[in-house]
Amino acid sequence: MAAEQAALGEILRPIRGRLRLAVAAQTLSAIAGVVPFIAIAELGRVLLGDGADRSDRAWTITAVAVGALFVRLALMLAAGALSHFADDELQSHIRRGMVARLARVPLGWFSARNSGTVKKAVQDDVDAMHHMIAHSLLEMTSATVVPVVSVVYLLWVDWLMTLVTLAPLVIGLGLYSITMAQMAKHLPDYDRAMGEINASAVEFVQGVAVVKTFGQTHRAHQKFRDAADDFAAFFLSWVRSTVHSKAVAEMVLSPIAVLLAVVAGGALLVTGDRLAGVDLLPFALLGVGLTAPVLALFYASYELRFAKAAAARVGEVLNAEELPVAKEPRTPAGNHVSYQGVRFSYDGEKEALAGIDLELAPGTVTALVGPSGSGKSTLATLLPRFADVTGGSIGIGGVDVRDLALDDLYRRVAFVFQDVRLTQTSVADNIAMARPGASREEVIAAARAACVHEEIEALPRGYDSVVGEDARFSGGQAQRISIARALLADTPIIVLDEAAAYADPQSEAEVQAALSELTRGKIVLMIAHRLSTVVEADRIVVLEDGAIVEEGTHPELVARGGRYARMWQAHERSTVWQPHRGTPDPAAGTAQVGGISR
Amino acid sequence: MIRKLLDVVGPEHNRPIRRMITALVVCAVLQGVAFALLVPILQALLGSDPDSVWPWVWALLGVSALYCAAYYDSLRTGFDAGATLSRMLHNRIGDQVASLPLGWFGPERVGRLGQLATKSVMDVMGVPAHLLRPLVTSFVTPATVVVIMYVFDWRLALAATLTAPLILLVYRWSAGLTRTADEARTAAQAETGGKVVEFAQLQPVLRVFGRGEQGSGGTGLDAALRNQAEASRRVLRTGVPGLVSFALVVQAAFTVILVTGVYLALDGGLDVAKLLAVLVLAARFTEPIAEAAVLGSTLRTAQAALDRIAELLAEPRLPEPSPAREPHGHDVEFEDVRFGYDGTPVLSGVSLRLAEGTMTALVGPSGSGKTTVGKLIPRFWDVDGGVVRVGGVDVREIDPEVLMSKVSVVFQDVYLFEGTILENIRLGRPGASDEEVRAAGRLARVEEIAQRLPYGWDQKVGEGGALLSGGERQRVSIARAILKDAPIVLLDEATASLDPENERAVQDALTHLTAGRTLLVIAHRLQTVAAADQILLLDEGRIVERGAHHELMAADGRYASFWAQRSRARRWRLAARPA
Repeated sequence: MAAEQAALGEILRPIRGRLRLAVAAQTLSAIAGVVPFIAIAELGRVLLGDGADRSDRAWTITAVAVGALFVRLALMLAAGALSHFADDELQSHIRRGMVARLARVPLGWFSARNSGTVKKAVQDDVDAMHHMIAHSLLEMTSATVVPVVSVVYLLWVDWLMTLVTLAPLVIGLGLYSITMAQMAKHLPDYDRAMGEINASAVEFVQGVAVVKTFGQTHRAHQKFRDAADDFAAFFLSWVRSTVHSKAVAEMVLSPIAVLLAVVAGGALLVTGDRLAGVDLLPFALLGVGLTAPVLALFYASYELRFAKAAAARVGEVLNAEELPVAKEPRTPAGNHVSYQGVRFSYDGEKEALAGIDLELAPGTVTALVGPSGSGKSTLATLLPRFADVTGGSIGIGGVDVRDLALDDLYRRVAFVFQDVRLTQTSVADNIAMARPGASREEVIAAARAACVHEEIEALPRGYDSVVGEDARFSGGQAQRISIARALLADTPIIVLDEAAAYADPQSEAEVQAALSELTRGKIVLMIAHRLSTVVEADRIVVLEDGAIVEEGTHPELVARGGRYARMWQAHERSTVWQPHRGTPDPAAGTAQVGGISR
Repeated sequence: MIRKLLDVVGPEHNRPIRRMITALVVCAVLQGVAFALLVPILQALLGSDPDSVWPWVWALLGVSALYCAAYYDSLRTGFDAGATLSRMLHNRIGDQVASLPLGWFGPERVGRLGQLATKSVMDVMGVPAHLLRPLVTSFVTPATVVVIMYVFDWRLALAATLTAPLILLVYRWSAGLTRTADEARTAAQAETGGKVVEFAQLQPVLRVFGRGEQGSGGTGLDAALRNQAEASRRVLRTGVPGLVSFALVVQAAFTVILVTGVYLALDGGLDVAKLLAVLVLAARFTEPIAEAAVLGSTLRTAQAALDRIAELLAEPRLPEPSPAREPHGHDVEFEDVRFGYDGTPVLSGVSLRLAEGTMTALVGPSGSGKTTVGKLIPRFWDVDGGVVRVGGVDVREIDPEVLMSKVSVVFQDVYLFEGTILENIRLGRPGASDEEVRAAGRLARVEEIAQRLPYGWDQKVGEGGALLSGGERQRVSIARAILKDAPIVLLDEATASLDPENERAVQDALTHLTAGRTLLVIAHRLQTVAAADQILLLDEGRIVERGAHHELMAADGRYASFWAQRSRARRWRLAARPA
């Protein structure tokens, strides 16, 4: 909690001055808002009196009341504007801060968990803080100032009557806290029931398409109906269990109860000559208005808690650890890549890579094969510093990648991903991402080489079509645009996820042609999925459990009869399989058919 | 708003809501009466005979007691209304979802549907307690007070009455203004938020292509941030006049009463005590009206939630046949089928026949309508023209559950429930014994997965099957289909990015699923195409070539060139080539 408080304070620092000003304006506005009430009470004194200047004084008081209203409005608007502007600036500040930070954290930071965190932070959490800054803060100010000013004035008028007026408030708040405590005790039940109905709802609506294909709609539907009925029944019994104490507390806190206390108490005091009739006016005017702000404070404190938790999460993103950059960058001699005793662990316990030695010479293709989880992708992504090694080193041209300036590193290494992401800008900008200054001719040449030029030309605005607006691409087309991007970047080292070639079976041939173009004369490190692709690689590296178990050319490895040879066999068999018939069994010579009895 | 609420719940179930509204109005009226009693009470206490106050105090006590009873009743009916809303909304959403055509369920829609069935329902459920009560109180109580004021002094009452329409008018106008500006601002905020998320997701690409630091320009993030600042300024420009006007009008109403009252009192026409009492009321009740303006955002949230639910309920359902007919046999037939999405034709006159127990391969470029052909058989959608028949009967005349029991669909998008592996397979045939479920699992090579997991067959697979890899999820879904044992199987063969071992396992599973069935494959592998009894080459929604592999090769048309191209792709290797 203290840490969350600190996080909120830290985040609010840039706008603290303006927030103070807004609170000050709101405070004055709240005081001005009490003035007309006091004015009416004073008006009563004047009108009921019989001074000679009765009329003048009455009009003066009226003018003060009306004037105070205008002052209140003006100050309220000023406070609102200040806090809204401050909030806008804060949001923009937070978002810019995040953008700056996101550009510097290690790429490995963007795991599924963290991109969820970013999403929550920029969308929900910033929103929660907006509420706190732009609304709750001012509401809380009013809710504090109005009762304080009122009570001070009322005490000045008559202390005993003040106590009578405050009685329902004190009793009501006591009851209310008891009710709240009761509800809090049963809140876990409510949360559980709510969680259950939400889970059933999500499961039903998301799974119904599948359920339908199995002809089970009726059953699933009935199950969901039952869950909905159960929840409604639970909700009713849950709220009914608190209805009595809640009703009593709310009734005691209602304006009617305060009115009754003021009137009954006032009648007793006035008829007992303890109080002048005119002195009752302030209590009828201000006393009745005391409970609403106090309740508002209750709710606002709840929002404040939300905002603090939100600030903590936002702070987490803003303070994420950055990828270290070389203070005195060195320039590599050539582009020979060398992995030396490379170790890596995601969690500090289990090693994803356990001592890898690997040399990638200029002009060679190296293929990484192995089952999923063997460390292929980790090994490849360490080169463009998605994460830094936890042991050993990776060098380019004799210089550790950590000692290269980042832009120098990325001028040397390009990465073609399995899942392609295009930015929502023009197609030309997407291709020219690595070289924003590239001419249109260069962009077109890259697109041509990546076999995607004709398809871009066919778009409504050609290369100026905007992705997501008038340019929509199939998986294979997007794939080729990303290859065009890498072609234009023209880096000497290419890290390639070969699954890229199969994202879209329809344009497999085009993607393949584009890849062949891209890798011409480069150092290629390829994460391979289909063994047929790697047959001609200069070297095949077989990984298992984070270690290299075999290494060599295709013929060498097949001849060795080890792990790779077994994988190759499985691959061969899978290419001859046919649905309806299965895989021809070389031993029996007959097609294998199966199926359970019908 | 209230009408929409009643509509969404349905006419036969809206009684609790009507009752609650009645209770709220009664409450608000009683509150108004109680406050109006202040006039005689203050008059008595300020006058020469304070003791005449007691009957009025008793009256106030009586009204307060009534108020308490009404309040209690409104709380209870409010709970009833909340429970009814929850039950009816869930049920109506459930009914609707169960009756929508399968084709409606795209990934994006399904994502939003989850939100709708949870958050939107809860938003609407809160309407009676959090919205109706303050709204009713804000308007009905002051109105009651004004009406009763006529009894005490018609001139002041008239002054108050005259301001009322103006207040309402300005309220609507200013609410409209703020809403438009607020919506623009919220949209701008959401856009920047989205852009930041996109920026985060794009980091690998931006970074590797050297655009990490300056990349914010490349994704339009800077523009979005500027746009947001502009939208906020616009809120102040357009929204503030509305807010100011509303506050001014409410103030003016108060001022009119105040000035009229002081004038009347000074010139002797009005009893001062009465005036003061009326002023107390006026001061007290301009505030709740002003408060109503603050409810705007809650109101809009609820309104938006209601709109989304109403929109879902208005989606056209898949018509059900009556009476239903039984299909005979397991062949499938398309007769001159025409179909399009939102007016864009996808299939323009497709006729085909899948003879019982044969295998048909569908090939063709992407966008040619292959998947659509597959999806029309289990009625993901209904055709726009022509007929789809299963076992000689139009699919629209077959009971949907019967139709579904005849067809197994194995497509790429696999949905697993958050249950155990066994439960997930059992979906294929809920009545199956554990042994039968396991047998299907074994045939689909799910047993190997179960053996690897700590709880074996009883391992929970996580939300959407998150604990399993893509290939493993596919095997579970095939096990489901094996257990279901439907005579017609529709298979999409794109098994992209599976490693060789997983691919083998999936293939073994498919062998058990497809043998002897009427099989339609959306084929990507040459091996599959060559083995088919019949090949259909689809292009732009028409079947352009059909026949067995050797026939089509001999014809040397589109199919032959397709085959040649795919053969080249299959032989592709990545090798070092000189620059």
